[in-house]
Amino acid sequence: MNSIVIIFLIFLAGAVLTYIGQRLSNILGSSLFLLTIFAATAQFYLRVNTGDIFSFSLNGLEMEWGITPISWLFSLIVLGLGSMAAVYSISAMKAKERLGYFYFNFIMGIFSMMGILLSRDLVSFFIFWEIMTWSSYMIVIYEGRSVQKVGIKYFLFSAIGAYAMLMAIVIIYSQVHSVLIEDLVYSFSSFTLAYKIWLPILLLTGFGVKAGMMPLHVWAPGAYSHSPMAYSSLFSGALSKMGVYGMVLVFSMLITQIPEHLLIREVIAWLGALTAAIGTLWAIAQDDAKKLLAYSSVAQLGYIITGVAVGTELAMLAAIFLAVLHALFKGTLFMVVGAIEKQTGTTNLTEVTGLIRKMPWTFIAALMSIIALAGIPPLGGFVGKWMLYEALIASDHYILVVLIFFASTAGFLYCYKFLFGFFLGQEEKEWAHVKEAPATMVVPMLIFSVLLFVLGTFPGLLLKPIDIGMQELGYAASEGHYWTMSVLFNEYGNAIMLQPILYAIIAIFLFFLVFLTAKAFKGTRYVSTKDISSSGEVPGEFENLSFKENFFQPFLRAVEPVMKRQIDWYYTLVGNGMEALFNFVRRVYTGNGQTYAIYAIVFLVILLLLKSNLFG
Amino acid sequence: MVGSPVLFVAIPLLTAFLIPLFAYIWKELVRIIPGIVILYLLVLSVSLYGQVLREGTIVEQIAGWAPPWGINLVFSPFTGLLSTLMLFMAFIIWMYSYRFKNIDFEPSKKYFILLLMLVTGSIGIVLTGDIFNQFVFIEIMSISGYGLTAFYVGRDSAEASFKYLIMGSISSMFLLLAIILIYSQLGTLNMADIASKAHLMKPEFKILALIFFILGLGIEAEIFPLNGWAPDVYSQAPGPIGAAFSGIVVKAGIYALIRVIYTLFDVEGSLQFLVIIGMITLIIAEMAAIRQDKIKRMLAYSSIGQMGLVLVAFGIGTHEGVFAALFLMVSHALIKPLLFLSGSYLVFNSTEKSIKELNGLGKFMPLTSFLFALGAIAIVGLPPLSGFWAKWSVLTAAANSGMLLVIGLVLAISIVEIVYYFRVVNRIYFFKKEESVVPKIPTINAKFAMVILAVIIVAIGFYPDLITSYLHEASETLLDKGNYIQNILSVAQQVTQ
Amino acid sequence: MESLLYSILGVLVSLILAFTVGMTYMGLSRKITARIQNRIGPPFYQNFIDAMKLYSKSTGIHHGVMHHLGPAFIMVTSVMSLMIIPILNDSAFFTNMNFHGDLIFLLYIMTFGPLGMALGAGQTGNPNSAIGVTRGLSQMVGFEIPWVMAIIALMIRYDTSSIVDIMNIQADAGRWIMFSSPFTFIAALLAMLGMFRYSPFDIVGAPTELASGPMSENGGKYLFTMMSSSSIFAFAKLTLYVNLFMGGADNLLVLIIKTFALYMVPLLYGTVSPRYRTEQAVRYFWGWPSFFGLLAILYAVFF
Repeated sequence: MNSIVIIFLIFLAGAVLTYIGQRLSNILGSSLFLLTIFAATAQFYLRVNTGDIFSFSLNGLEMEWGITPISWLFSLIVLGLGSMAAVYSISAMKAKERLGYFYFNFIMGIFSMMGILLSRDLVSFFIFWEIMTWSSYMIVIYEGRSVQKVGIKYFLFSAIGAYAMLMAIVIIYSQVHSVLIEDLVYSFSSFTLAYKIWLPILLLTGFGVKAGMMPLHVWAPGAYSHSPMAYSSLFSGALSKMGVYGMVLVFSMLITQIPEHLLIREVIAWLGALTAAIGTLWAIAQDDAKKLLAYSSVAQLGYIITGVAVGTELAMLAAIFLAVLHALFKGTLFMVVGAIEKQTGTTNLTEVTGLIRKMPWTFIAALMSIIALAGIPPLGGFVGKWMLYEALIASDHYILVVLIFFASTAGFLYCYKFLFGFFLGQEEKEWAHVKEAPATMVVPMLIFSVLLFVLGTFPGLLLKPIDIGMQELGYAASEGHYWTMSVLFNEYGNAIMLQPILYAIIAIFLFFLVFLTAKAFKGTRYVSTKDISSSGEVPGEFENLSFKENFFQPFLRAVEPVMKRQIDWYYTLVGNGMEALFNFVRRVYTGNGQTYAIYAIVFLVILLLLKSNLFG
Repeated sequence: MVGSPVLFVAIPLLTAFLIPLFAYIWKELVRIIPGIVILYLLVLSVSLYGQVLREGTIVEQIAGWAPPWGINLVFSPFTGLLSTLMLFMAFIIWMYSYRFKNIDFEPSKKYFILLLMLVTGSIGIVLTGDIFNQFVFIEIMSISGYGLTAFYVGRDSAEASFKYLIMGSISSMFLLLAIILIYSQLGTLNMADIASKAHLMKPEFKILALIFFILGLGIEAEIFPLNGWAPDVYSQAPGPIGAAFSGIVVKAGIYALIRVIYTLFDVEGSLQFLVIIGMITLIIAEMAAIRQDKIKRMLAYSSIGQMGLVLVAFGIGTHEGVFAALFLMVSHALIKPLLFLSGSYLVFNSTEKSIKELNGLGKFMPLTSFLFALGAIAIVGLPPLSGFWAKWSVLTAAANSGMLLVIGLVLAISIVEIVYYFRVVNRIYFFKKEESVVPKIPTINAKFAMVILAVIIVAIGFYPDLITSYLHEASETLLDKGNYIQNILSVAQQVTQ
Repeated sequence: MESLLYSILGVLVSLILAFTVGMTYMGLSRKITARIQNRIGPPFYQNFIDAMKLYSKSTGIHHGVMHHLGPAFIMVTSVMSLMIIPILNDSAFFTNMNFHGDLIFLLYIMTFGPLGMALGAGQTGNPNSAIGVTRGLSQMVGFEIPWVMAIIALMIRYDTSSIVDIMNIQADAGRWIMFSSPFTFIAALLAMLGMFRYSPFDIVGAPTELASGPMSENGGKYLFTMMSSSSIFAFAKLTLYVNLFMGGADNLLVLIIKTFALYMVPLLYGTVSPRYRTEQAVRYFWGWPSFFGLLAILYAVFF
């Protein structure tokens, strides 16, 4: 049997068996859950080669599953993050209800994402896309909080996106009479101009919803923060990347074929940058860590979208690099929040405080991913951001650079808020009992932290496969020829300049650490955070020394005009209008027999009057 | 030949009349016999269908009178598909209602008599080749429908039944008018004969007849301004009857309307009219559905909307369009009954039957809730269930005919559909149960009936090729009008020779 | 090997130079401010005395690892910035580690210090520190915008992201960018006001109100590290401005004259300005300075 089919069967059978197993016993369910994911991962990486193809025909449609370099690349995100999140969720979800349901949908989520990546025709792409939507929807409503609001909103927007995509697929099918992606790419140039413009727009709407592009992002904060954190890391890290994957395909294969492609590129790039800026501002305003990370995800995806939309080789490279990194660091951060939620029972940044000495490993993981998120050298985030800036400047998107730079500087604010809120600040008695999270939760986070460091130092490890994937998409081999504005990388980051600099940073850091203060550190003793300088008084236990509320109030005051109204507000307006319209229409059915008889007569009259117009 | 199409009409009618007699022998027979009869007919229909696919359409004359004078039954790949589907649904509904509400002896007798008559009428509508005969079957179907609607003694059901009665009589009146018009013009009642002579008719008369038909059959097919009765009937009739209405009766109505438009007359613009009216029906019904607070009314509006979509698909007029319409009919005939059947157990003990009372039942009735959720997911067209492929066919058909607006509207409306179905499913699983609601575990046969439907829905979803070849055959048959005429009239020649 | 030794020596010398010059400037600033306010003020070498005192103090307590690392973070930033900013034009000795593309790198590395220090300040648990940090970060978001605009304008105009290239261009043209791209200079100069955190942008560490803000829990060697790092950083920034806009310097004397002249701008502007609230400061930077930044970009694109 074809190895791709075997993977899908492992997932499907595994999902069902896990569900049943969980009914029988906890241990059986969890082990089946892990087994499924690891078996499929192993099967994928050991047995499936790029170029494997499985063709079949369904409902008169020729379909094809296969693996391309670019999808292999994204599969790293899905399976890597998926398997780590799976390990994490065993401890994180302990003692929760309906675990079978959770595991089932978790596996279905990974299954559908792999399906999306392996699909080489639009229909199975769409089918897997929808499976992904409903399986993630099921997890968004898993905890049963505000299902009607957050859950429906998520599904509603997903459906809008999916149906936009379906419309495009249907039109493509009617034009090409084939749903294979390669046929579409081949014959796209012969489409009429209207189709050439509208089809990518429809597809991008679909992908934009999943990638959380403005103004379609409104589902994201709620959905990310309402899922269990074990899944949120996958949700924000991998699921949203499916939107990016789709965008990469559209931009590199379709939009390049339109002569008037610049406008679409510009619009999407601007939307991406605005997403980044506005998402950042809203992240700063959040007091709940889940919400903060959710908005931060929206913002981070904004960078990626911008990169993809600009679409030069460097921009694309930067975007995909950032996409992988985002999966790593945002996955870790959601896991951190999950660990804190498990240990303290809350994720509110104004409540939890001073955990650094209680959960040191979690803190290290959080710190590393925050540094990567903020794009500070020497971690990987910096490499991606640098490439993005260079790409934007090199392609003359100057104002975009400023906007992106603003977003990423303002990003420091919420980064700091996150770290400060949870780990730093006053150590309060309320949290004195908190212990480090179980090892199965900490280890995945630390693995990702190490990866972030490795990718910051040796970005070539990742840039090389990305480059291979991009060559598949029709980009020229990028072996060092476009680095004219930067000598950051000569050969995929095994560069002459970058590493010495990074090493220098580390060396200086160690120098000051060791020679100037290590002795001091030894010679000093730890004093509690209550023992601070406050005008000569030693504050008592009861005194509140936490600075938590209105953390970035002055900044938020400065940007108040931008944040007066959420986009949500407009959608709510539209939604209420629709409901009112529906209510009005409903009154057509009065429930009165006479009215219905009158309708029949009126209908007859209308038909008779219009008969010459209606019937020839 | 394994059996004659006549049996489809004769046997259930006969059984219906004999049921009171059986009751004297053994009361349980009242429940058992209808099932056996339906099962026999189902087997017969399947085997006949197989034969038809191999050897071509069967035309059966009643009482030796050759067409165009006599009444004939036509069992073609198209009608055969529908009759098989209807019998299958009838069987499922019988299985489900075997011990539904522990119906006492006396009502159960009536119930099964009426159910059999309903099935007879519906199948008769599909099989008959004679227009007046069809009228008779419509009457049989409607009258048993009135009875079944008013099955539960109470003000509301009587009111619903009465509304249906009013509309039904309007329907019959216009049907009769149309038939009279045609007969006065062409002097024949045989459909094939009418079809072959339709060009002789004066255009005004033809259009007038068409309008009368649209009005008369539109009431049965639940097109927009004529469908006010439907929500009341669906919600007041017993649960399985709601399923029967959405799975069988409406399909017969649609069939009749389609037969008129596709075969009888060839009026230019009638297909566009179907698209327009179907679209309006769809939009208005789904808009109304989202604001309902009674579960069965919601399902009823949803059903109306789906029928609108079927008409749109028929209105596309190409082979793909007809194929899509049939796919949608089959898919809807499987899914909507599943929703009705599981839904009526979910509100089994409640008086209000409101959506609120479904809150939190997921824990207490896991299987029923799951099946309802599955049905909901299927009907909004999420893959990998059958609803998706049906929707896909409609959309591709529309796209191939360049009807982009239709695609956009259908998809937009689907979003509305998603909202109201998912609201209900969320309630079932994630809300706190109302104190007053007493969950009712379905009987084993009801569970079995629902599970069969669910399995088929999933199977078609994963592998639509299970049915697509039959649907292609059927749509081919419907579109090939010349062949239809020839098939029937050639029988006439054989007889006369 | 020799070149490596040279550059290490160069780094050390420039460190010492930066430390000395920075400290002197700080001391002079105290003197100048005092004179403007009609006080006598401390001698200009007072800062050296303070530093010596702080360094020789032994520190008894700390608030945890992050607190301990905070000064190290900020020191890394200062030294890193200094290392990639060339001190003199075409000097074999002071090449340091500048490389192509270092402008963007600088943008980032310069923000690293405040964040690292913020982490250190956070762990102390002193609310004043945290308040100071939030103000500092907010203000940073403010002045980064005109600063980035200026840098981008430079990169567009001269098609390079290397500081050395920009210096060479000025040397070749014989004109300072300050004159050939006036808007860029204005935007950068206004951004500099925020970078130096003199009045009116000194709410971050407002001594009377926040007890020095982020620094409030640091004493002894910690404070010494911070103090010397800020001197080095000040010198590095001034040198960067001189390099970018004033044609660099051929020898140390010219460099000192130019940097001192530049240093007077925020200092003197500060002495005559009242203090802005944080949101006022942020809005200030997004007002005229950003407008000039925009003009600079437009100018660079179209001319």
